Amino acid sequence: MSQTDYTRQTHHEFLVAAEQALDDPKLQASLTNLGDTLAQRNREAWAAFPQSDAVRELARQIKDETLAHLDEYLEEFEVSVRRRGGEVHYAADGAEACTAITEILRSRGVKKVVKSKSMTTEEIHLNEALEAAEFEVVETDLGEFIVQLSKQRPSHLVAPALHLRMPEIHELLSGDAGETLPNTPEDMALYARRRLRADFATADAGITGGNFAIADTGSIVLISNEGNARLTVSLPRIHIAIVGIEKLIPKFADLPVFLKVLARAATGQKMSVYTSVINGPKLPDELEGPEEMHVVLLDNGRTRILEGPLRESLFCIRCGACLNACPIYRNIGGHAYGGVYSGPIGAIITPLYDGLVANHHLPHASSLCGACQAACPVKIAIPEMLIRLRDQLHAEPGELGWAEGKAYGLWARSMRVPWIYRLGTWLATRTVGRLSKNGWIRKLPGALHGWTKSRDFPAPASERFRDWWKREGEL
Amino acid sequence: MSRETFLARVRQAAAAGRAYRVHVQPGITAEMGRAAHGADLVVEFIAEVTKAGGRPVVVRTPEEAKQQLVELFRFYEPRSALCWQHPVLEKLQLAEFLPSHGVEQIDFAVIARQDFDHRRGTILAADIGITSADCAVAETGSLVMAHGAGLERIASLLPPVFVAVVERAQIVPDLFDVVAHFGGRLPEKLPSNITFITGPSKTGDIESKLVTGVHGPGKWHVIVIDPQ
Ligand code: SF4
Repeated sequence: MSQTDYTRQTHHEFLVAAEQALDDPKLQASLTNLGDTLAQRNREAWAAFPQSDAVRELARQIKDETLAHLDEYLEEFEVSVRRRGGEVHYAADGAEACTAITEILRSRGVKKVVKSKSMTTEEIHLNEALEAAEFEVVETDLGEFIVQLSKQRPSHLVAPALHLRMPEIHELLSGDAGETLPNTPEDMALYARRRLRADFATADAGITGGNFAIADTGSIVLISNEGNARLTVSLPRIHIAIVGIEKLIPKFADLPVFLKVLARAATGQKMSVYTSVINGPKLPDELEGPEEMHVVLLDNGRTRILEGPLRESLFCIRCGACLNACPIYRNIGGHAYGGVYSGPIGAIITPLYDGLVANHHLPHASSLCGACQAACPVKIAIPEMLIRLRDQLHAEPGELGWAEGKAYGLWARSMRVPWIYRLGTWLATRTVGRLSKNGWIRKLPGALHGWTKSRDFPAPASERFRDWWKREGEL
Repeated sequence: MSRETFLARVRQAAAAGRAYRVHVQPGITAEMGRAAHGADLVVEFIAEVTKAGGRPVVVRTPEEAKQQLVELFRFYEPRSALCWQHPVLEKLQLAEFLPSHGVEQIDFAVIARQDFDHRRGTILAADIGITSADCAVAETGSLVMAHGAGLERIASLLPPVFVAVVERAQIVPDLFDVVAHFGGRLPEKLPSNITFITGPSKTGDIESKLVTGVHGPGKWHVIVIDPQ
């Protein structure tokens, strides 16, 4: 299963989706809200903590070092987890991860599963796989729970229901309750608390992602503001964490370096409310806590990125700061990007995971203003990487295999439409330079509009493209 | 895919990727990331607890701490409490003190013998959680909780109201100091679960409006015993 199968049809619709987003006043209001709050708090947090520059540099160095010897750190992690009575599973792709998790659940007679927010489980479409296997799956992060009720996808790394406004949320929660709930955020949250407590109390297994995995202690680190991640690893008898291999850090002693910058970048808090370092199943004399702990380590394209020039994108700690800072994201929202990961970092990793040709708009969906890199807690050189991806799109197709060359040729023809070349600039001038929503152009300019309507862009051979990418990485 | 194939693939990719290591600034050390600390750790700590949405109070003696608890009992009218068994709380003699104010202390030894449903019913109905901490961090206003037997993770998690009692001597200046605090227990003897708590349970998922208490406790009180 490829990473973004279920959004396949939206890949070629970036311009249309962007236009729809621009035309959606509710979404525009949410996004303005976001820009005014989270992005502002990120800037204030860096300014208020002058030492943050050194910490961010250190965080970056730790990531670089870990990735340079990732195989050794993974083996150390495995030894550490086993020492504490946990189990480690290796999954080369999403399908393997889903199979491993389904097997664990099945063999232990699990019926109900609670989940805390995890982009990695979104990435592998775990909910679909679990539902197909007839497990009851409940998302417990309030935003994710709302998104699950709406049958949509999350639109932001840390604020999944950002695209929904209060009346819609009220309708969704009232629908779930089977009665009209009082119409305040407090009452709606209270309903969710009661409803989800019952699920926590009766679930057999809790599934989480992991913000970090620590090699020397075998720990999984979970960070949340609501406390649902803590409940997920406290009440059910089985805990399964699914973690991308890039989440490794070498030592427990490295953790404060990341804690000092993650929440500041994400929300401007010094620390998120709850940071849980899970070192293994509960000890025999503890009253509550999981009896079993499993860690599923996921590759799913990460080694392909690791061996190439864009490996720095694996430093990402998924804080969402680059989304909040990005003038493009703040105008079109997360869904327009068409992948699981959106915003500036999504514009890099969606093409890397899912094929550059299939996602050729994304590297251009940036004004290259640099706000993303300035906000990033690990100072990822996002603009530089976007330029590199653009360069790869522009490269001579001579070195490609026949099938790739064909797909590439089709793409190259479309790139001769000058509007596309100018997309980045166009978005930039319409967004960065805009002082108020009033001056905003609601439709794409005529020629481009026509192009989005009339173009006929065949689905490219993205699997083959990955092979090309692999060879390209070795050049 | 087998473990061996998986790890061989990572080994190969990590080695190839070393050609693309990023340029790093030399001479950066963790010490450079130490926050600037105020003159007094208690003052700094309670200021950060307040910023995080907690209600701190500083008292001089365990007796005064009990008076603060009485105030909280009057306000919240709890019927049952989940409490840690911890040296700092032993000074408050909660086992006698709580019942004298009409609060039942849930006995971990008793409920450990109850069947699953009964036990779940009891802990989910608890009205207040009372704990100390392993240490507290002035820089961020965080409590660091090392969970284990008698130091149950549910006490600071399930009830709607959570009260922590800490002593001045437990407060460390910086997040970096937490590592040293656990240093002697690395790696084998770490508790099963260490949680940093910095605030009441919060969400901004409904139109970015701040709501507390969505999953964990919505009310967070911290009583600092400072004899100085
Ligand atoms: S790229 Fe940087 S700013 Fe963006 S989500 Fe990742 S860590 Fe955060």
